[in-house]
Amino acid sequence: MKRALTAACGALALVSPAWAATTAKPAPPPPPYAGVYQPKGVDEIGLWQEADEQERALANSPLVIRDEALTAYVKNVLCAAVGADRCNATRIYILREPTFNATMVPNGTMRVYSGLLLRVRSEAELAAILGHEFGHFEKRHGLQDFKAGRTASDLLAWGQVLASMSTSYNVRRSFNDLQLSVYGSFFRFNRNQEREADLVGIGYLNASSLRPQAAARVWQNLVAEFQASAVSRGLKKPRFNAIAFTATHPPEEERAAYLGELAAPEGDARDEGAERYKGALAKWLPVFLDDQIKINDFGASEYLINRLAEDGWTAPLWQARGELFRARGAPRDLVHAADFYAKAVALEPDLAEAHRGLGLSLIKTGKASEGRAALERYLKLKPDASDAPMIGMTIGSVGGTQ
Amino acid sequence: MTMFGGRALMLGALCLAAMSAGAAHANAYREKGKVAEVADSAMTVTPPRDWNRLSAKPGKYAEVWTLDGEQLNDVTFYGGVEPGKPLVKERDKKRDPLPKFTASTLLIEVPELLEGTYRAEKQIGGFTLTGSKPAQFLGREGVNFTYEYTDQDDLPRKGEARAVLIDKKLYMVTFDAPRLHYFDKALPDFRALASTAKLSK
Repeated sequence: MKRALTAACGALALVSPAWAATTAKPAPPPPPYAGVYQPKGVDEIGLWQEADEQERALANSPLVIRDEALTAYVKNVLCAAVGADRCNATRIYILREPTFNATMVPNGTMRVYSGLLLRVRSEAELAAILGHEFGHFEKRHGLQDFKAGRTASDLLAWGQVLASMSTSYNVRRSFNDLQLSVYGSFFRFNRNQEREADLVGIGYLNASSLRPQAAARVWQNLVAEFQASAVSRGLKKPRFNAIAFTATHPPEEERAAYLGELAAPEGDARDEGAERYKGALAKWLPVFLDDQIKINDFGASEYLINRLAEDGWTAPLWQARGELFRARGAPRDLVHAADFYAKAVALEPDLAEAHRGLGLSLIKTGKASEGRAALERYLKLKPDASDAPMIGMTIGSVGGTQ
Repeated sequence: MTMFGGRALMLGALCLAAMSAGAAHANAYREKGKVAEVADSAMTVTPPRDWNRLSAKPGKYAEVWTLDGEQLNDVTFYGGVEPGKPLVKERDKKRDPLPKFTASTLLIEVPELLEGTYRAEKQIGGFTLTGSKPAQFLGREGVNFTYEYTDQDDLPRKGEARAVLIDKKLYMVTFDAPRLHYFDKALPDFRALASTAKLSK
């Protein structure tokens, strides 16, 4: 259930509007904040109660990243964008899930997915997404569509009865998917709502100390990533439904164009906070990158690594690229992987994981003795690694000293 | 999506759910002490206690057994996965490919293969390999490894597995259960079952 509501509220998130702004005027500053809001009427009270229930479960979820400093940092970015009085109405939960997404529910619960943090590169880019979310929240879009699509919940009630008759976990999972598409259809915002949220979101940025032009770049980068993913999978068209709710409207390109027009020109000289963002994410970046690599989307992962490397290649980036190529595992990939690990080791000789990857790649490409040396180095650097006994066995099996 | 299209899709999904709910699963009983072939392969086990075999197979090379029910204590047998193949069936070969077992996969990389398969198949971020060591499986030198993950239902699970490579094919048995209660309870049963695994030529 929790997943379903999360997904439902995901619709608040990254729905693509199918309109192009005809105006070239910058977005106006946000209206004065109306203060603490309480739900009114049976629909809204019900919606809030459900959201409260979901939030209680969310607070205990093992998927939430419990890093006070990181959560406080993301909240600060939101506050910098929308202003302190507004952002006090929200609670932020960072979820370890490698997808590009952020959602906000009517009661003020904001979910930020680690995949989003991996993909944005500055405070201004992050603020653009969070501000858009906040725009839906402030305009209470969820409620309007909820009323319009109430018949959909009757359908879900029947679906649940049928699914509960089945003994198979997979059928119940299909029911969750059904919830996702049904909630998705009635939480999908219409064009005017999307337009409003974008307008409000850029309005926050225009009035903030961050550079509003960053908003357009988020979408341009996402388009490029989808294209890279499609090319490597041999698909004719990029897959815009890789993130929920962009499935039927894929005009990220249009969106990038009109967001550029809505950004206030005088904001162009402002700071994006890229260095601060890099510093705050430094500890988590290798973890998020690892999660991304292991979901087996070669093109997208390669694109992300290369984009992160625009500021210069670091040992963790070479290491991640090595892992990506070794996981795909074609003979040519293994040769590349060994090369990438070697570059990581050259930059950071004590990076144990890179020695491990280097050793395994060399062994697989027929360079057993060099591979053995790299694995021995790994064991020296990390003698109590969880796979140390297996590394020892691997060294032995390729004719080593053990 | 138009409202009409949306309805049609939803009704389609409902019908599917109804059909799956209606079809009784022909799960099977695996009696204590009787040799049973698993995963349509040369691998056999002699269960030291009664088990249930689920009829729904996760893939061509896999078969699931359980004591109390699916997802509570699942033993999955992988019988002779061939190079170039994924461990379980891919939902969409082109759009959602799974990692493949390859001819060059090393024994030490099998835990990573399982990790990649779980992460890609379940679209999850929280998966940790907690340990691996050499161990006998099917009478040969294999790997014994443990892991933890949280599935999309937010329930933390633990797993333990044995694997071995024979003639460039992967044979593996895994045990997955919720960390709370079920894992520790059925772990001895899993180990006892896995230790009876043999390869009949």
